[in-house]
Amino acid sequence: MKSRYEAAKNVFIDSVDVDDYIELESSVTAYKQLHHSMDKPLKMILLFGRPGTGKSILLNRISEKLKHQKEIHYFDTPAINEKEFFHKLFKVLTKKDLPNNTEVNFSALVDFCKELRGKREIVILLDEAQMYGIEMMEKIRLLSDSRAVKFVVSLHKTEDEDLIAKEHFQSRIWEVIELKNATKADQTTYIHKKLLKKNLFEIANSIKDKDMKLIHAFTKGNFRECNKLLFTIFEICEYYDKNEPSKINYEHIPQRIIEMAALKLGYIHV
Amino acid sequence: MYDIKPLEEEWNKYNKKKRKPWYLLGLGIIVSTIIFFVIFKFNITDSFKSSDQNKSVETFSKVEKGGSSSILMDKSLATLELEKSKKNVIAKTLEIKPTTITSYDDPMGNSEVYVKEKKIKKPRIKSKVKMVQKPHKKMHLNIIETTSVSAYKDVEKRFYASHDTDDSLFLAKSYYSKGLYKKAEHWALETNKVNGNIEESWLIFTKSKVKLGHKNEAIRLLMSYIKRSNSKNARRLLYKIQKGNL
Repeated sequence: MKSRYEAAKNVFIDSVDVDDYIELESSVTAYKQLHHSMDKPLKMILLFGRPGTGKSILLNRISEKLKHQKEIHYFDTPAINEKEFFHKLFKVLTKKDLPNNTEVNFSALVDFCKELRGKREIVILLDEAQMYGIEMMEKIRLLSDSRAVKFVVSLHKTEDEDLIAKEHFQSRIWEVIELKNATKADQTTYIHKKLLKKNLFEIANSIKDKDMKLIHAFTKGNFRECNKLLFTIFEICEYYDKNEPSKINYEHIPQRIIEMAALKLGYIHV
Repeated sequence: MYDIKPLEEEWNKYNKKKRKPWYLLGLGIIVSTIIFFVIFKFNITDSFKSSDQNKSVETFSKVEKGGSSSILMDKSLATLELEKSKKNVIAKTLEIKPTTITSYDDPMGNSEVYVKEKKIKKPRIKSKVKMVQKPHKKMHLNIIETTSVSAYKDVEKRFYASHDTDDSLFLAKSYYSKGLYKKAEHWALETNKVNGNIEESWLIFTKSKVKLGHKNEAIRLLMSYIKRSNSKNARRLLYKIQKGNL
């Protein structure tokens, strides 16, 4: 027999699927801010935040929403090298595949972009931009100077990456949008909405406010960590439901299980 | 989820660790409470001890004024002997205790233990007797007095309600034995009023009369009763009164 917790567990598989997007107060604000920034005559926009704050899903959502209004392209995975990146860019700009055994000439590409000014307005969403090297980022900036191509660069906020941002981008014309970890209220809404989206009303109700507080304390409001923790919680629940039902309370998820999941993920230690 | 058992064990350890500060806090509170009470108790006992010491110093100084320490021992012994002669209930019970202990037959043959107990206990009892004697004696007597008065009153009330000669005769005998001859005479007369054939009431009545100094009246009354009843006890009493041996 299938456990009720199996479906709940699968709700929290981490993905950037636009269908899994949950509208929260904070995410709506970020979306509007990004949308508004894209309408401005800016060359580059920096989307900034710690891992798991919802940058990728925001880029994905805006790409999906605006793909019929704007010429928008989402580069979800960074190119392994410069050659590959320019191949991809060439295809977006020219709408043609690059012939075999040929390479993109960067100055020719910049000239091509300059010719596009006023004719087309192309938006490139670059996820995981911290993977691009400094030299590469400089080339991206030169392309954006053509004003025909606008880049939205999504960047992890770590100490090192902060440094990159400061040194190479902050001196230029940038719009910076920072995504932060969710508040307890936002995270509670996020968890409830996710479960309710899959009609798991009883399970959503079994996570009480006290549990939400604990989950928020463990994950610090990070969506990715939250997904990981809830996946593990429901995985443990599923085990007990199938093997030792006496150890589980269907009306209230025991604190013990939340702590066990936290131990498993290393949020707490013995 | 294959690693649930190790995870459970890990959680048990974590839970213990998590509760440890609370346990320590609880233990700390208990220990500090115990320490507080111990100190508090010490202060009380110290104050008691100091007051006791003062008292003993006072008594000792009083004794010293009276004579040497050997005299003190003799005095205490004399007090005990006096108590015996007075048949004081408290002294008796206190003296009985050590003899009861000595009468124990030790089944294990550890006679030494009992001998030691006996040796230790005797002086303790003596000292206790010495210290406690007077207040105990007073209290005991007071209790008898109060209870007896209330009991006699109850019997009197009962007699007036029922006119039971057993009650009136009891009162007459009791008062006579206590030396309250006027009362004894009254209750003997009360008995006689209800039933004139009760010999004991006649005898107590005449004896009370003699004790109150009405010897001739007593003889006259007794002779009239002997004529009526020909009682041997009455004759013996008459003989005693005439001889002046009552």
